[in-house]
Amino acid sequence: MSQSVMKVMQGRDLRKTSARQKITHILSQAGIYLFLLLMAAIVLFPFYWMIISSLKSLVEYRLSPPTFWPMQALFSNYADAFTTASLGVLFKNTMIVGLVSTLLSLVITIFTAFAFARLQFKGKELLFAALLATMMIPGELFTITNYATVTHLNITGTYTVLIVPFLVSVFYIYLLRQNFLQIPNELYLAAKVDGTSDMKYLWKVMVPLSLPTLISITILKMMGAWNSYIWPRLVANDPEHRLITNGLRNAFTDTTGDVNYPVQMAAVALVSLPLFLVFVFLRKYIMSGVSRSGIKG
Amino acid sequence: MVESKQQWKAWLYLSPAIVLLLIFTVWPIINTVAMAFMEDYSGLAKIGGDTAFRFGIGNFAKVVQNADFQQALINTVLLCVISVPISTILALLIAVALHAIKPLQKALQTIFFLPYVTNSIAIGMVFAAMFNVIGSVGTRRPLISSYGIVNDIIRFFGGNWVNWINSGSEHWANMFVLITYIVWNALPFKILILLGGLTGINKQYYEAAKVDSTPRWRVLTRITVPLLSPMLAYVVITGFIGGFKEYTSIVGIFGESMGPVHAKGSMNTMVGLIYDSLASNNQGRASAAALILFGIILVVTLINLWVSKKHVHY
Amino acid sequence: MNIVLQNLTKIFPSRNKKSGEEVVAVNNFNFEIPDGKLIGLLGPSGCGKSTTLYMISGLQKPTSGRIFFGDDDVTEMSTENRGIGLVFQNYALYPHLTVKQNILFPLQNLRGKDKMDKNAMLDRAYEAAKLVQIEQLLDRKPSELSGGQQQRVAIARALVKMPKVLLLDEPLSNLDARLRLQTREEIRRIQKETGITTVFVTHDQEEAMSISDMIVVMKAGIVQQIGKPQDVYDDPANLFVAKFLGTPPINVFSGRVQEGHLYIGEDRIIDVKGVPDQEVVAGIRPEGFVLSDGGPLTCAPVNVEVMGRDVSVVSTHPASLNPLVRSIINADNRIELGDSPVRYAIKPRKLFIFKKETGERINFEVK
Repeated sequence: MSQSVMKVMQGRDLRKTSARQKITHILSQAGIYLFLLLMAAIVLFPFYWMIISSLKSLVEYRLSPPTFWPMQALFSNYADAFTTASLGVLFKNTMIVGLVSTLLSLVITIFTAFAFARLQFKGKELLFAALLATMMIPGELFTITNYATVTHLNITGTYTVLIVPFLVSVFYIYLLRQNFLQIPNELYLAAKVDGTSDMKYLWKVMVPLSLPTLISITILKMMGAWNSYIWPRLVANDPEHRLITNGLRNAFTDTTGDVNYPVQMAAVALVSLPLFLVFVFLRKYIMSGVSRSGIKG
Repeated sequence: MVESKQQWKAWLYLSPAIVLLLIFTVWPIINTVAMAFMEDYSGLAKIGGDTAFRFGIGNFAKVVQNADFQQALINTVLLCVISVPISTILALLIAVALHAIKPLQKALQTIFFLPYVTNSIAIGMVFAAMFNVIGSVGTRRPLISSYGIVNDIIRFFGGNWVNWINSGSEHWANMFVLITYIVWNALPFKILILLGGLTGINKQYYEAAKVDSTPRWRVLTRITVPLLSPMLAYVVITGFIGGFKEYTSIVGIFGESMGPVHAKGSMNTMVGLIYDSLASNNQGRASAAALILFGIILVVTLINLWVSKKHVHY
Repeated sequence: MNIVLQNLTKIFPSRNKKSGEEVVAVNNFNFEIPDGKLIGLLGPSGCGKSTTLYMISGLQKPTSGRIFFGDDDVTEMSTENRGIGLVFQNYALYPHLTVKQNILFPLQNLRGKDKMDKNAMLDRAYEAAKLVQIEQLLDRKPSELSGGQQQRVAIARALVKMPKVLLLDEPLSNLDARLRLQTREEIRRIQKETGITTVFVTHDQEEAMSISDMIVVMKAGIVQQIGKPQDVYDDPANLFVAKFLGTPPINVFSGRVQEGHLYIGEDRIIDVKGVPDQEVVAGIRPEGFVLSDGGPLTCAPVNVEVMGRDVSVVSTHPASLNPLVRSIINADNRIELGDSPVRYAIKPRKLFIFKKETGERINFEVK
């Protein structure tokens, strides 16, 4: 091919291609947005349905075809839900268990991660490897014996039984230790020179420097308490100690048939609301914690 | 650097964790394995259980021969095998699409993460409501007052309504509802991980592909997927592990009866079965079932790792 | 306060338990650091200089030997109680604290009779900040500072509790060349103003020579020589010290002593009366060469490097142990190199001879 011919071809092709390119680009971007918005609508639909259903009257709820916006917002459903499921007690119990277990768990995790990250002792590597190995075992395997243990200890039906067995999380220890290890050794030596004790160094330097990780752990732990179902049902399903998820399931045993769905949905919305608020305000920490974990709660 | 001769200090820091781990992690491992081999053992003498036992593999035999177990195993495998590929592919497409846009990216990302921060029982109840039919279903001449929103949408497009979860509903319909919920629930985590992986891919590969005028689809299958393969392997493995431990989603939709009214327990899973054994005060059988579950998870994970080793590209 | 190091030895156990050998990082170090002086610990990496510094700080415990601060034996005392200031190579500023909080940190740790009230601490912090001229940076975070500024903060933090001993670990190595010159003057000034006994570690001989009252040259855990910088330079104890000090480095030749004369190759350089006949290594400082038509050392010219004030003549010599012989000649007269050999006379005080096997210096009388 001679040079002049090539030049001509390129000139024509380039002009044509760039016009075509612009169109394909716009089309494909439009396609992408369409797909994403459709998926987003599907993802959001259950939330939408929950909220509008919770505001309908029972009569309106049974209408076919259904209404997509309540004709008259019936906020009394929420009051009904609150009393039907005695949500007040459930909220209180869950907050107590969540706060206490998060607090204690944080302290234990900080101490343990500190020892593994900073202190020297015999068998450190071996012990840490053993800890990590336990992460592979499904929790159900522990639950069986722990159920027997707490029954023998006679602590079923207390806050203790809801808190103590899950205070140590190997995963959180691992997460925090990794964070601690990133803090340069010189800071520790500098603190020694500045006359700081190990304990003070831990609280004044390492903990502030690991704050994002600690916040992630706190949120995940609180969410865990909020969503826990199996263990509480097994060991503390009495009205005084029942947690929110069990309470919800207990109050509305029927899921199918002619149930009073508006009230049920109001209860569901009330249970979901705190999680939603936490998510709105602390999304960054949840997402960073989750992307490193892969564990729910 | 610093020679700490104070070994005891380290152990002091570790002591709370170690004590708790010994009681609630180490002992359970030993005890559960032991109990699995103790036949007719309840372990709960205090509440009237039988403590006499002999060693053997009877628990395993009973568990495996149990029809409920077989049903639970089929359910669990089925929901894993169907839900994991669907949710992974959907998550991949959404992640790639999210990665390709600029305006609204953050907002959409937030929306797609929303299902993660939910209570699986609570939202399970919402799904049940969406699929529920109000009226006399399952009778010869059903009298329906509301078909439920999902059926309404199907009818709007000219389809026939389906009895999804009510009395008389078929197993496949139950499974469909459950898998829909599980996929919906599994998307956020997978999107998060895959999107994280996508942002980590060096832009130069895409620029090189552009220079070579590679079509979009080829870029996805030949560049993105291979480079994303470690994350894909990760979400598939965690997806399977999560799938095998599925339990609360079913409780959310079907209640503790683990199935529609006419077929209680028909949607039960491995984990559900373990808790049933516990509730019926049979620790030995529960332990055996837990060990079998552990074994299955281990094998599936190893297979996954083996497959991904062949296909993960670096 | 003076610091006495007595038979100080540090042995690190081998990493590999089966085959590895233990490492003697510091071997039998004896030295009395005089009160109020600036001491430079100098040597190549791995010579034990940092280990020595860390032993003085208490961050590492000596395997044997003792350390005294004044009359007090501090060998067993932990770092926290020694009341020293230490500036780390990468400064080790607490990243989550502001400059002010960083400087206050050591003061907040004081307990018992040393405990200070808030205002006194603030006063002291401002004083320290002023000394290193960072008053205007007090509310910034370390990440918002340049390397030189971080360095100053680190020094302020080390000085704020008025330590009796200030230790600096490679304090200039993370700074660029210009800042390095400036900062080392600064360190010298601060040390002079405060009169704190200061020990600093460096691998840069120029840095050590330029600001130290005394330097300690170390190699493989063993002290090679201690003395005032000029004395060590002019009178090196052995070949290692002679080679380590000076830029450009000393030129070394294989030579021999025969009947009271030093030969380099076939060139008879100078008389070394009283030295027995033997093979030697001869070292000539670059400034020890004088261009002289009748000079005894004959080299083949390579090129001339003009360095402004001086001129460096690069040449080769068959007996040279380095590929090139580098001399520094006063640039008063232009130097044109032809193909003909350059001939040098040698200044006797700039020439040292060493035993070939041990590198030990052989003294001879200079006429």
